Amino acid sequence: MVTMKIVITNGRHEADFMINKFKQDKHKLVIINSDQRFGQYMSNINHVPVLFGDSTKAYTLDDAGIQDADVLIALSTDDIINYITCITAKKVFNVKRTVSVVRNPKRVDLFKKLGIDSVICSTYLLGESIKYESLIESFTKTLSLENDKIVITEIMIEDDYLIAEKIIKNIKFPPNVNISCIFRDPSVIIPNGDSTIKAGDKLIIVSTTEDQDMIVEFFETKVNKNE
Amino acid sequence: MKRSKILIVGSGRLGSSIAAKLSVKDNYVVIIDKDINSFRKLDEEFGGYDIVGDATDLQVLENEVLIREVNEVIITTDSDNVNLFIAHICFYIYDVPHIYVRLNDNDKGVLLNNTTIKPIYPFSLSFDDYMKKRKENGNHENSNY
Repeated sequence: MVTMKIVITNGRHEADFMINKFKQDKHKLVIINSDQRFGQYMSNINHVPVLFGDSTKAYTLDDAGIQDADVLIALSTDDIINYITCITAKKVFNVKRTVSVVRNPKRVDLFKKLGIDSVICSTYLLGESIKYESLIESFTKTLSLENDKIVITEIMIEDDYLIAEKIIKNIKFPPNVNISCIFRDPSVIIPNGDSTIKAGDKLIIVSTTEDQDMIVEFFETKVNKNE
Repeated sequence: MKRSKILIVGSGRLGSSIAAKLSVKDNYVVIIDKDINSFRKLDEEFGGYDIVGDATDLQVLENEVLIREVNEVIITTDSDNVNLFIAHICFYIYDVPHIYVRLNDNDKGVLLNNTTIKPIYPFSLSFDDYMKKRKENGNHENSNY
């Protein structure tokens, strides 16, 4: 693994966690914290030097020796301190990549536009994740078996899907597709070639993990209205 | 839309004095501060608009300040970091033509490189004022107690 020079400014337990992880991977670490007592604590338990100071001041970053670092991760709970730290690191010390945590989700896009490479907001991520989960809910559910080698995918057939109202033996399936079961409320059908797939059916499909995306894409192909 | 408004961020001693001075002419002046009590410092002559709000919030800037109509902004909050952040937003996001920003720490001026943002340094002003007065006084070169 390539060793990198990583700078971590401020933060508490998340900083502590990252220091521990990066140290195991043998990266070179530069740690700056404005809380002297917590800095001392992190230094003691992780056996790394921690510089006490204000990371928005260029001389602090200079004293810490962040010049040409590969990454700077700004973890203050004050978004603007993180912004100034990242921009100073980039403009003055030629740090290649800056990562900032933000509290205010509205600042994620703003910070990116202003030149911070990566912006992380737990509230924002939570929102995105909920959005993603609810999106998944309407189409497919997945269950993995055997260390993720086999997956069981559930696909809800919408009436504009190409395969809706078709007889299975007339459908040109891609290889390695096996419809194990059709759930058509309230009955469960074990399909054969003469079974018809109807809108509103839930198909249970077993496949390898690699084929899953291709299979989902195949089943969810919509009728092309231009034809 | 023509850009003609003047925006002042921070209604401290400097911000409120500039607001009062500029609003007596034909200018359209808006002053913003997140603390409603800070507007007490505004002169009675002030003929502009005051807004209570956070000038780092783009929604406030766009919908209340109408930042896209602003021609000139003067940023005077008591935090250099906040001032720089707002100056960068005005410059990089909204292309405000004239931006002035107060910075107590001269070192932070490097973050204005490659922009047209103009810094105002209280340190430099005090230093220059002292040197000027000292010179006027004859530099004390031959002074004895």
